[in-house]
Amino acid sequence: MPGLTHTGREAGRWRGSLRLRLLAGTLVWIVLSVLVAGWGLARLFEQHVEQQLYAELGTHLNQLAAQLRFDESGRPQLELVLSDPRFARPYSGLYWQVDSIGGRDVGAQPASLRSRSLWDTLLVVPEDTPADGELHAHRVEGPDGEALRVIERVLRPADHPEFPRRLIVAANESLIDAPVARFNGLLAMSLGLLAAGLLVAAWLQVRLGLQPFRRLRKDLEGVKDGHSPIIEGQYPSEVQPLVEEFNGVLARNAEIVARARTHAGNLAHAVKTPLAVLANAAAEADGPLARLVTDQVSLARTQVDYHLARSRAAAAAGTPGQRTALKPVIEGLVRLMMRVHAERELSIVLTDCPGMPAFRGEAQDLQEMLGNLLDNACKWATAKVELRANGSGGDVIVIIDDDGPGLPTEVRQAVFERGVRADEQTPGSGLGLAIVRDLAQLYGGDVELEASPLGGLRVRLRLPGV
Amino acid sequence: MRVLVVEDEPTLAAQLSQALKAAGYAVDTADNGRDACFTGEVEPIDAVVLDLGLPLMDGITVLKRWRAKGLTMPVLILTARGDWNEKVAGIDAGADDYLTKPFHMEELLARVRALLRRAAGQASSDLVCGPVTLDTRSGRVILDGQAVTLTGHEYRILAYLMHRKGELVSRTELNEHIYAQDYDRDSNTIEVFVARLRKKLPAGLIETVRGLGYRLTCQG
Repeated sequence: MPGLTHTGREAGRWRGSLRLRLLAGTLVWIVLSVLVAGWGLARLFEQHVEQQLYAELGTHLNQLAAQLRFDESGRPQLELVLSDPRFARPYSGLYWQVDSIGGRDVGAQPASLRSRSLWDTLLVVPEDTPADGELHAHRVEGPDGEALRVIERVLRPADHPEFPRRLIVAANESLIDAPVARFNGLLAMSLGLLAAGLLVAAWLQVRLGLQPFRRLRKDLEGVKDGHSPIIEGQYPSEVQPLVEEFNGVLARNAEIVARARTHAGNLAHAVKTPLAVLANAAAEADGPLARLVTDQVSLARTQVDYHLARSRAAAAAGTPGQRTALKPVIEGLVRLMMRVHAERELSIVLTDCPGMPAFRGEAQDLQEMLGNLLDNACKWATAKVELRANGSGGDVIVIIDDDGPGLPTEVRQAVFERGVRADEQTPGSGLGLAIVRDLAQLYGGDVELEASPLGGLRVRLRLPGV
Repeated sequence: MRVLVVEDEPTLAAQLSQALKAAGYAVDTADNGRDACFTGEVEPIDAVVLDLGLPLMDGITVLKRWRAKGLTMPVLILTARGDWNEKVAGIDAGADDYLTKPFHMEELLARVRALLRRAAGQASSDLVCGPVTLDTRSGRVILDGQAVTLTGHEYRILAYLMHRKGELVSRTELNEHIYAQDYDRDSNTIEVFVARLRKKLPAGLIETVRGLGYRLTCQG
């Protein structure tokens, strides 16, 4: 189930993502604060509109009180029509009404004097007798069934104090609701925009803030791929210590490899000179002891060479940040071979490939592999050795051809074995190809033998490239 | 032919020196880089066997100094590390061949022979002058199909002259090239050896140029 594991990994990555953490934290904070701000502002505005409405109603009530007159029979009348035209328009939402208290009134007058906007309905206001000068507010149902805000006061006519009147002014609640709804809509939109803007800003900030990590990752990949031996460049002060620590680890690693290599070299030096002495002494003498010494020295040499090369490469193969250009190494080895085989007038042709790739590994190991292969080719070649190197799908392919006798198919595998030599007469330890194969395999490459178009042997060495 | 052996390990130096002497070379030795550098500069050395790991001055530096001073004698380097970097560095410093320790003494002798031959511009390991053939590999001298028995000194003189055949070789030069530095030289002995050689070889082969030296004249 590759899909499942993939999503699982994806989820795991998100759970551990710094960006997600920062973004989620910011998101929660932004949403919370925008909601609180929105609620608060809406409440404030609603209160304000309400107060305004009551203030307006109060003004109308005062106007009503001021215009109210009583005729000689004590019937209330308006001296002047109230100025707001909404009082004249039926069911306009703004009403007034003057009730007599206790249903009693002078003569057969209708119980109430009321605004034209009430038309033929009456405001039904809960029985209530506010003290003089007191304003009472109520919510009642209006003529259209709508909710009304009402304020009332009691007025006692100076000449008929026994007939107090309730002065009532009412307004449709929609006078509050409409602007509040408008305001809320606007508020929601602007707060939504604000939240979106904040989120974008937060995302940008997180992105910019984490930029060094992306660069670090790229640099690390570069190190891994061998483009650079250390992480270069200046990082923010929070990241720089990490980079320095990592570079320190890389440097220590390289130092350990170098030290191991030097140790191995010193060991080789220390062991091989006595071996040379022993071998020479044995060659001088004759008899079984001399033969034994000769054989064992040769074996010891083989073992030392083999394990030396292996241990060196094992230390180096896993180390990141290594990169060796092929060209200088090949050119150095070609110079060496030309000089050593000077009198044979051997032609060693290096086909120069444009953009010759680099090997992802240690220079010495590359030299060891190419040196052994080239040495073999030159040893066996009649007149010509050809070298070619190119990159192919992240790999480096080196092809070495010679025009020597070649190798029969059946021994091609055997020559990779330690100590096996194609020809016992030609000097050599019989180790070269074994070392080449082991080194190549340690680096994840391989080496193959084929028939060469030149007539001899073709060696194809594949190594990881950069 | 005079060969300088530069090796700091005394037993190996002794073995090298002994094998080279047995092969008919005059052998000088040095056990550190500074002495080697000096000997190479002041003595007429024909070939050098140079170990790279040396006290006081390493082999590569010694070699570079010689080449910088225009000394062209062939140099065979011995490396113990067996690492190609060192071999390439040695060749780039001016070495002509390398051998990795431990080596077979015959291999070393063959390389030295080949280097001397190459330096003399000879293609074959047999040096031929008229009816005389000198096989540098076996150290045998053949005259008209018959082996000629020569002493060590006689062989060295003939071999040197044959490497330089047709050229005028002064007595001093001959003296310097057939004896090592520490040898008690007497130029009169050269004349004695040449006289003995002349008896064993056809008349007129070794020509005396009065007051100057000898010349090997090859005819036929």
